[in-house]
Amino acid sequence: MASKLSGRIVTALAYILLTAYALLSIYPFLWMVSSAFKSNQEVLGSQSLIPSEIHFEVLINTWNQLDFFKYFINSLIIVVIAVVVIILIYSMAGFGFSKTNFVGKNVLFMAFLGLLFVPGVTVLVPLVQLLRALGLIGRDATQTATYAGLILPIINGAGPLSIFLFRNYFNTLPHDLYDAARVDGASIWRIYLRIFLPLATPIIATIGILNFIGIWNGFIWPSIVLNNPDWYTLPLKLKDLDLQIVIQWNVRMAGSLIMVIPVIIVFLLLQRYYISGLTAGAVRG
Amino acid sequence: MLECPNVVLVIVGLPDALAYPATHFASHISTVADASINSLNRVSPSLNRKRSRTIGQWLRENSGILFVLPAIILFLVFGLYTVIYSFVLSFFRWNGFGKFSLIPFVCNAPTCQPAGLDNFAQFLYKEPTLSRFFWQAMQHNIIMAVVVTAGTILLALPLAVALNRAVRGRALYRTALMLPMVTAGIAVYYVWSFIYEPDGLLNGVLQTIGLGFLQAKQGWLGQPDRALISLMIVMIWGAVPLATILYLAGLQTIEKDLYEAAVMDGASAWQQLARITWPLLLPVTVIIVITSINSVLQGYEMVYLMTYGGPAGHTEVVGLQIFKYGFGDQRQLGVASAMSWALFILVFLIALVNLRLFRPQTEG
Repeated sequence: MASKLSGRIVTALAYILLTAYALLSIYPFLWMVSSAFKSNQEVLGSQSLIPSEIHFEVLINTWNQLDFFKYFINSLIIVVIAVVVIILIYSMAGFGFSKTNFVGKNVLFMAFLGLLFVPGVTVLVPLVQLLRALGLIGRDATQTATYAGLILPIINGAGPLSIFLFRNYFNTLPHDLYDAARVDGASIWRIYLRIFLPLATPIIATIGILNFIGIWNGFIWPSIVLNNPDWYTLPLKLKDLDLQIVIQWNVRMAGSLIMVIPVIIVFLLLQRYYISGLTAGAVRG
Repeated sequence: MLECPNVVLVIVGLPDALAYPATHFASHISTVADASINSLNRVSPSLNRKRSRTIGQWLRENSGILFVLPAIILFLVFGLYTVIYSFVLSFFRWNGFGKFSLIPFVCNAPTCQPAGLDNFAQFLYKEPTLSRFFWQAMQHNIIMAVVVTAGTILLALPLAVALNRAVRGRALYRTALMLPMVTAGIAVYYVWSFIYEPDGLLNGVLQTIGLGFLQAKQGWLGQPDRALISLMIVMIWGAVPLATILYLAGLQTIEKDLYEAAVMDGASAWQQLARITWPLLLPVTVIIVITSINSVLQGYEMVYLMTYGGPAGHTEVVGLQIFKYGFGDQRQLGVASAMSWALFILVFLIALVNLRLFRPQTEG
C-alpha cells in the first residue's frame, strides 16, 4: 500500500517536472509568435503573451516590404539541393562502409570520422582561398558567388556525421538480407537501391531534418560566401534588420517566425522517424 | 562500368538459363570462385598476380568503393586539402593580401613569410595582447564546456526518467521538449536577446515575482558579470532536448526485471538510480559528454550573433577569435590557422580521454 502511494507521488512529480520544463522550453517560441502580432510599443511594455490588439499587418508588411519571399526562396533552393545530395551520396557511402568490402575501408572510415573533430572554423580561410582559385566564388562584391561554391562545402561538412549515422543504421540491418539478395543474383547497386535504401527511411528522415535545420539556420558560411545581397538567405536578411536605427522588435519577431515555421512543419511531419533514427544511430551504434 | 558485376554473372550463367534461374547459378559459381581465389591469395599472392583473371576479380571484390567514391572526392577537395592547407599556413605569416597557395606552392614576400613555430608562440605566450585574449577565450571555453555539459545532463536525465514514467501524454511532452532543438539559429537568438534586454522579459519577470534585486540593469548580455552565464543558459536550453531523447532511448533498453528485483531486495529509489539506471546509461552519458564538449569548443556562431564576444571580451571564445583573425579588420591568417590547430588538438585529446576513461564500463 505504501509503495503504491509513493509510486503515485513519483508519477505526479514526473508530470510536474515535465510540465514545468515543457513550458520553459516552448515559452521563447510562444513569445516570438505573440510579439509578431503586437505593436513595437506593446512588445517592450507588456509581459503578456496575448496581444491586446492583434496586428496582422506586421507579419504581412515584413513579408512584402522586406521582400522576404525572395530570401525565403533563396534559402529553400540551397537547403533542398544540399539535403538531397547529402542523403544520396552519404547513404551510398554508409552502405558501402557497412555492407561491402574494399581495400582501405577502415582507414577511410577513420579519416572521415577524424574530420568530426576538426573545428569548422579551421577550414574557413582555406575554403575561401580554394573556391576563389576554382572560380566558384566572387572575387569582390560585384560578382555573385555560385551555388556550387556555397553548397559543396556545406555538403562536405555534413559528411562525417551523416556517414557515421548511415553506417551504424545499416549495421543494425541483418547481413543475411544482403547475402540472400546476392544469392538471388541482384547486383550490389540493386541491393542498395531496392532493399537497403527503403529500409533506411528513419535514418534518412533523421539526417534530412538534422541538415535541414542546420543549413536553414546557417549564418557564418553564407555570410562569408554571399557578397551580393540579392543572393542572401533568410538568416542574413534577418540580420540585416539590425541596420535600422531603432530596433523594431515586432518586425524582428515576425521575420524570425517566418524563418522558423518551415522547420517546425518539417519536424512535426517527420518527428516519429526522426527520433527513432536519431536514437538508433547514436545509442545502438 | 557500374553494372559490371551483374553483367559478368549473367554471361557465366547463360548456358543454364533454361533449366535454372540464370543469376542464381551464376552467383553460386562466383561465390565458389571468390572463395578459391581468396584462399589462393592467402597462400601465394605472387602466383596469383600472373593470372589476368584475378584483376577483374580484384576489381569486383573492391567494387564497394564506388559507393563511397562521391564522398571521397568531396572529402579530398574540401576536407583533406583544406585541412592540410590550414596546417601548412599555420607555419607562415600572411595578412591575406597577395597569394598563399599549396598547389603550386606560392608564398611571396613581403605579404607572406615563413614563420616557423612563431605563430603558436605568439598567441600562447609571446605577444602580450594576443596571448591574453587567447587564454581569456580558452578559459571561457572551458567554463562553458563544464557548465553546459553538467547542466545538460542534470536536466536531461530527470526529464528522461519522468518521460519514461509518464505514459499518458508522452508524445505531446516529447514534442514540446524537442522544440528548442528544432528552432535554433538567429531567430531564437533574437528572442533570447530580447528576453535579456534591460527592459526585457527576464528583468520584468524578476520584478514581478519580487526578485528585483537580481535584475541586470544594463541587460543580461550587456553586463560583464552576467553575459557568460546568460549565453550558457541558452546553450543548455538548446542542448537538453537531444540529451533527453538519447537518455529516454537508453532507459527503454533497460530491463524492467532489474528494477523489480531491486525492489524485492528493498532497494530505495535512490539506490535504484545510483546502482542500476546511472551505470547502465553510462554509454549514453559518454556520447552526450563528448558531443557536448565538442560542440561547445567548436561553436561560436551563437556568441557571434548574440554578443560578438562582448562586453569587453567577457564572452570571447576561441572559435570567435580565430574567426576574427581570419576575417576581421586586421587579418593574421597564420595565427588564425595556428590557433585553430591548438583548438583541434584540445578537442581531439578530450574526446580520446573520454573514450579511454569510460571504455571498461561501456564494454562490461
